[in-house]
Amino acid sequence: MFLNTREGLALALPAAVFSFLLFLVPVGILLSEAFRVDGGWSLGGYVEFFSKPLNQTVFFRTLKLGVLVTLTAAVIGYAAAICIVNLGPTTRGRVFGLVVLPLMISPVARTYAWIVILGRTGIVNDAIVGLGLSDTPIRLLFTETAVFLGLLQLFLPLMIISLVSAMENIPKDLIPAARVLGANWLQVFFRVILPLTREGLVIGGTLVFTGALTAYITPAILGGSKVLMLETLLYQRVNVSNDFVSASVIAMILIVMSFSANLLLRRIATARR
Amino acid sequence: MRGLTSWIILGLTLTFLIGPFLIIILAGASGGPSLAFPPDGLSLKWYAKVFTVESFRASFLLSMFLAVFGTLAALLLGIPAAYALNRYKLPGDETIRMIVAAPIIVPGIIVGLALLRYLVVPLDFTVTVALFLAHTALVLPYAVRVVSASLHNLRADIEEAAVLLGCSRLGAFMRVVLPNIRGGVLAAFILGFVTSFNQVPVSLFLSGPGVRTLPIDMLAYMEITYDPSVAALSALLAFLSLAIVFAAERLLGFSRYV
Repeated sequence: MFLNTREGLALALPAAVFSFLLFLVPVGILLSEAFRVDGGWSLGGYVEFFSKPLNQTVFFRTLKLGVLVTLTAAVIGYAAAICIVNLGPTTRGRVFGLVVLPLMISPVARTYAWIVILGRTGIVNDAIVGLGLSDTPIRLLFTETAVFLGLLQLFLPLMIISLVSAMENIPKDLIPAARVLGANWLQVFFRVILPLTREGLVIGGTLVFTGALTAYITPAILGGSKVLMLETLLYQRVNVSNDFVSASVIAMILIVMSFSANLLLRRIATARR
Repeated sequence: MRGLTSWIILGLTLTFLIGPFLIIILAGASGGPSLAFPPDGLSLKWYAKVFTVESFRASFLLSMFLAVFGTLAALLLGIPAAYALNRYKLPGDETIRMIVAAPIIVPGIIVGLALLRYLVVPLDFTVTVALFLAHTALVLPYAVRVVSASLHNLRADIEEAAVLLGCSRLGAFMRVVLPNIRGGVLAAFILGFVTSFNQVPVSLFLSGPGVRTLPIDMLAYMEITYDPSVAALSALLAFLSLAIVFAAERLLGFSRYV
């Protein structure tokens, strides 16, 4: 540890100043824009934003899809993480690698695959028509289901990674011990695994929820203008109608939602024992 | 029996995560004129076509430029900052940490819009400069975090020993610290490169006419054309990212740092 403060600051400040000027200042001004509607400070921008039915729909849809994706990712994530942790070391490494792999690939590529799967001439529709379940292809793209699937595929790895690393810290013989003492699998999960992996669940949950909330590509490609989410609405507001007040309101909502999700999950994690 | 259930769960999860890629690779290899799966006959013509689309070439070069130089700039700012935060007792170090980490927390689309409105327009930056600055700011948090982790694992006494033995402070950093954290620096570079190259929301508003990053260009292309070339390009990009990550893993055990 060096004590020469001036030297330390000289090394650290360029990065901090760069981030501050290029990032915090512009974002700060953008966020303040919604409060400065008629020359003075007011909440008018917010009131007007939430008074429009479309905006309300988009707001609740984003919240709903974010929560659904996070919950589903948690359920699948626990199932997968429990299986992965029980594998032998070599196989575990390989399977874990396959889980991480999609994260390195462009989200555009990852989302585009769903067009091939869910499109009018995609696999699912071919199967539906082929099996005679419907005469004409069903619209699967530009639905909430499509956006849900796309987001889940995009962010599930983050949940699995967080849960696997949390579960690796559980002592190996704890679960067999609980079983021997008469706990069934549900009790083992809720009374042993869940309490001991809460920290991982909080991290994974925050990553998935924030990711789903702020994803642009997935709702843009799979939802289009039929299934607007807050991010795509923001883009539309700015690009189509030059409405920067709405953009500023949405920006604030996204940031507040991300932070509250983290706080809420933290609360849940530290509640009850 | 338990083994079987566990493999079924893993099999389904991995199919959901990896399956779409296999589909993309095959859909790009279609012989037909439009996107379909299973493909109508196999051919590599769409893979070949990707290289002839002029806008893809230009946007690929721009994305490469941003990913390489944006990440280098971020490392140039980030390594000294990480070093200072790890080795010095600084007043307000928590604040500095928070400011540097901030670009991760705020959604990219907001960063892009804010930069466009309050930096590019009033200060008359060109789009390329704005994109470069935005990508640097975006990668900076990763650079600081990964290099910090690597510095944290390096004992501070060895450079103190170097200084006591008559090395200058800068010399000790260059000859003792840097060689020992080069794995972390390379890991930070790769992570930054991949992040920057795949980045969409930040670049969305900052892309101007004729100046687009590759992912933005792909989004625009797929809005007007429904041929398999975007699938082929997606597959090629996936291979590129994977090749980089695998090479890094082989060379230095990349996963230890991330």
